[in-house]
Order: sequence, then structure tokens, then C-alpha cells
Amino acid sequence: MATQAEQHNIGYLCTRHQINLGLGTKTALRWISSSLERTSYSFTDLEEQSNRVANLLLSLHCRESDPIFIFLPKMPEQFFLVLGILKIKAITCVLFPNFGPEALLDRMADAKPVCVITRKSLLKRVLDIQPEIPSIRQILVVDIDEHQSPDVLSYRKLIQQSSSEFEVPLTAEQTPSVLHYTSGSTGKPKGVLHIHRSVATQKQTMIEVLGVKEEDIYWCTADLGWVTGISYGVIGPWALGITQVQYGGGFDARTWMTILEQEGVNVWYTAPTALRMMRLEDKSLYSSFNIPRLRSIFSVGEPLNPEVIHWAENHLHRTIYDTWFQTETGSILIANRSGQVVKPGSMGTPIQGLEVQIMGEDGSILPTGERGNLCIQPGWPSMFVDYLNHTDIYASKFRFGYYFTGDTAYCDPDGYYWFTGRSDDVINTAGHLISPFEIESGLIEVEEIVEAGVIGAPDEILYEKVVAYIRLKKDVAWTKDLELKIRIHIGNRLSSIAIPQEFRIVEFVPKNKSGKIMRRVLKAWYLGIDAGDLSTMEE
Amino acid sequence: MATITSELIQIFQQVFGDPAINLSPEMTADDVEGWDSLSHANLILAIENHFRIEFSRKELAGLKSVGDLTRVIESKRVK
Repeated sequence: MATQAEQHNIGYLCTRHQINLGLGTKTALRWISSSLERTSYSFTDLEEQSNRVANLLLSLHCRESDPIFIFLPKMPEQFFLVLGILKIKAITCVLFPNFGPEALLDRMADAKPVCVITRKSLLKRVLDIQPEIPSIRQILVVDIDEHQSPDVLSYRKLIQQSSSEFEVPLTAEQTPSVLHYTSGSTGKPKGVLHIHRSVATQKQTMIEVLGVKEEDIYWCTADLGWVTGISYGVIGPWALGITQVQYGGGFDARTWMTILEQEGVNVWYTAPTALRMMRLEDKSLYSSFNIPRLRSIFSVGEPLNPEVIHWAENHLHRTIYDTWFQTETGSILIANRSGQVVKPGSMGTPIQGLEVQIMGEDGSILPTGERGNLCIQPGWPSMFVDYLNHTDIYASKFRFGYYFTGDTAYCDPDGYYWFTGRSDDVINTAGHLISPFEIESGLIEVEEIVEAGVIGAPDEILYEKVVAYIRLKKDVAWTKDLELKIRIHIGNRLSSIAIPQEFRIVEFVPKNKSGKIMRRVLKAWYLGIDAGDLSTMEE
Repeated sequence: MATITSELIQIFQQVFGDPAINLSPEMTADDVEGWDSLSHANLILAIENHFRIEFSRKELAGLKSVGDLTRVIESKRVK
């Protein structure tokens, strides 16, 4: 049997290793359904369920390094699948259930999965694009009892036939583990590839930043389609033998408060958008709940407004600690945390062992207080190892010996970092990075639209909202029905997060002489400020 | 009510791009794939356009289920 020192497999470390440490009967997952029914799964249950997944996948000839996609809403099977896929050294990729065909196609055409696991209500979306993804050998459907065709199979039936015994192969720390897609300002979404070594930083930050203790009840609200969901809703807590709560419903302030109270959550990791929405609720809601066990609240996704921190201090009687990381970084790298002064609105300070610099485009290290590129010295364990099929773009992120994050920030005299924006046009809406290019491409598919330019604009709830500038065909009038048609088209083709929250009808979309949309001009128009140098703009 | 429900089913199918959607009064956003806070705006706009009605902010805040939607549409149609 492999010793712990040799075995870096995340699936193993989250299950069998915890049983070996004597935690077999400890609750690993408290699953709260959307109707608030609770089901508990011990670490032994996790081990057996993920072993069944591993055996099932092997029986379907899935092998090491094969990409396997999970396209499901949050449900217990998602967690078993992630661990089971990791156990056979395949690559797990979880997709948001609100993705439409175009978003699915972009990701699957890039990664070429051999197997997709979904459920009945989402199956049609997968079947619609399957002809274009010949790599898919099987589609497993979690909620059908009988196989539907030779390649559309009942997961339920197969999992019952699979053994709960599985010996996890020895896994080197450089073995690929998790794939997440993230958007850039141009081109298709890129597949950010992680390796099993990531668990080291994920564990470190669970303790150093989130301050999680052995007997804590922990709740991370992120969907597993997000890096936060995998890093802090699967790997981090379970690699430390922590009991975590997961909820299968959507956001509702009263329900979430009920879960915090009833489950006795000690550490809560959530998103600024949810906290901002909670802030809008009637204040009396919060005084009707008793949450004495809640020690800390953490936030991630986009910068947290100081007003929200002040609201939480007044109404939840807790500080919210904002944290910063990216899909590419794999874990929290800069954070506010207990035991150090919180400067509302700041990103906090780097985790131990990390070197962060603010750099100019020429590689110069900028002085304290000066805004520049937020850069990190490579080498932290959870650092991504590639953009799948785009190694050239991956390489371009590393310059002058540092990883250029694409975020801009400055460092104050106390060593706190302050986010100031993106160095590209990527839109951060409710914590999701969206490419304006993807939305523009979707918009011009609508027959009434001639051209479109998309920007992110400040928003009280979402941090940034998607704003679309569109030029309509001659003689086409802007109506409520046309707006609805466009919104539905984008929502169903890409995803609900890509739906423009505001439309501006224009005579022309500003472009430079090479035809590139000048989004900075659109932003200036939106904000009512000077657009600056327009010498390169097409007449 | 039956007519409103059948019209609502068509709207849901269009908004969420799923011709298989069926509705019952107790269904909430948790029961319909893709019904989240962002697509909810599409749903409301589609309902307002179809039924030629407008929801007030207070009414919008109280809409938690298909049954709620049906009741509010019914009350507005009566007026």
C-alpha cells in the first residue's frame, strides 16, 4: 500500500486517508436539499460512493488524463463524481448548469471529454451538441433507471453494479486533476489546468486564512463550476477531515440564515453578490435569527464594498473577511483574516511564503502606493500548469519571472493590497468572468442586430453588469419584444450570467482602424467621461 | 387559471429553452433548470409582454413560486 508521502491523489486524501486517521464515521457532508431536508454522509460513505464512481468509469474504459465533464446542478452525486474521477487520475471538469449549447460546445470542443455526466432535464443540451464532439463515448444520466441507447446510460443502474472497493493508484503531485474554464477578453474560454499538488495550498489557506478547526461546521456556498466550489467546497475541507454543509437550493436570505442557525455553521465562505442582496433585506430578518456559533464570514469573487462590511458588523455582528484568488491561482493568495486589522475594501495581505509585487509593463517593481500589474512569483503549489491547448497564452502570462494576474492593484505602506481593476476588458459579474467578445458574438446572431459592443459597468449588486451597445438594422425599432428576444437568445445560447442588464441603441459601435471594438470609448460614453484619444477610431 | 397556466408553460419553455418544461403551482426556481436571479428578469419581461401587464416592485418581491405568479397574473387580468 502506498504511504501518505508518496500518495498525492486528492480523491484518496479526501476519503481513505481520513478513514485511516480514524474519521471514518465522522460526517463529511451534511446535504441540505432545497426543501431543507438533511442527509448526512460520513467519510466512509464518501469513500464508498467515490470508489463506485471510479470503478464505473474504469468499466467504461475511462483512463488517466481523460477529461470527464460533470454537467449537473449541485447534488450529492456531483461530489462523489469529482472524487471518483480524481481517484482514477482522470481530469474532472464541472460545468455550470445554466450553460447553454454555445457555452457547452466551446468547452467540450476544446477539452474533448470522453464522458459527460448529466441529468434528464439537461440531457437535450448535451445531445444537441454531441454530433460535434465525437470524443464523447458515453453520456451518463443520473436520474433515469434504464439505459436510453448504447451511449446514453443510466448512471443509477451502473453505479449499483459497481464495487465500493477501489485501490487508488499511486499519484504523483504533477498529475493533472481539475479543469476550469475561464474567459479572456478575446477568443474562446480557456481551460485552466490544475494538478493534484494544489491540495497543499488549499489546506494551508483553509487553516491560515479561513481559520477552520477540526470540529467546525463549515459552509462554502459556491457552485462546483467555480474554482471556489472545488478548492473550498471539496478539496480544502475534506483533505482536512472537516464536516461541511452543502445546500441544493438557490439564494434566499431567510433560507440561508436558517441554514446558518440550524446547522450551527462556524465558518461561512460566500460571495459578495449574495451578501449585497442580504443587505437589501429588511433588517428585522437578522435579529430573528440566533447564530452564536458563527465565528467568521469570508467572501470571494469580486471586491467587497466597505458598506457591506459595515452592514455585517451592524446586523450580523461579524466582520466579513474579503479574500482574493483566481481560477489560475487555484487557492486564496491574498486575504483579510482574523487576527489582523481589516481595512474595508482592501484585498488584505499575501499568504505565508508568497511573494507579490506590483509591476510595470516593463517589469519594473513599482513603489508603494503606485497602481500597476498585480504579479506573483511562481511556485505556489496550487498554481495552474497550463491553459489546455493554449500553452502559448499560458507562457505569455509569465514575464520577468512573475505571473501577471491580469488584475491591477496597489500596495499601501502597511503591506495591504487594493484591487483597482482589470488590465483587460473581461467583465466580472457576480464573481463570474465573462468575455465581452462571447456576448458580442452572440448578439450579432440576432437578425435585427448589425453590430454590438459589450462592456462591464459598475453595479451595486453584481459588482459589474453587462451593458450592450447595439446598432440595429435600418428600419428596425427597439421594442420590448425585441429586447426579450435578445435576452432569451443570450440566456439560452450562452448562460444567464451573460444576459445584458442594460441595452443602449447607437448609430455606430466605435472601432479602431483595424476593426477592433473600442470598449474604452463605450465605457467613457456610459460613464459620461472624456473618451480620451480618438485618433485611431474609424471614421 | 388553467389558461394562465398553459400560457405560462409556453413562456417558461421559450425563456428557458426547454420544450419539456411542465409547471405545477408549488414549483420554485429550485425546480426549473436555469431559473436563477438573472434569467428571472427575462421571465418577468416575457410575462409582462405576453399578458400586457406590469408587476410592481412589491409584487415582484413576493413572487417565489409558479402559484404566486399565476395568482398575481390572475388578479391583474381581473382588473
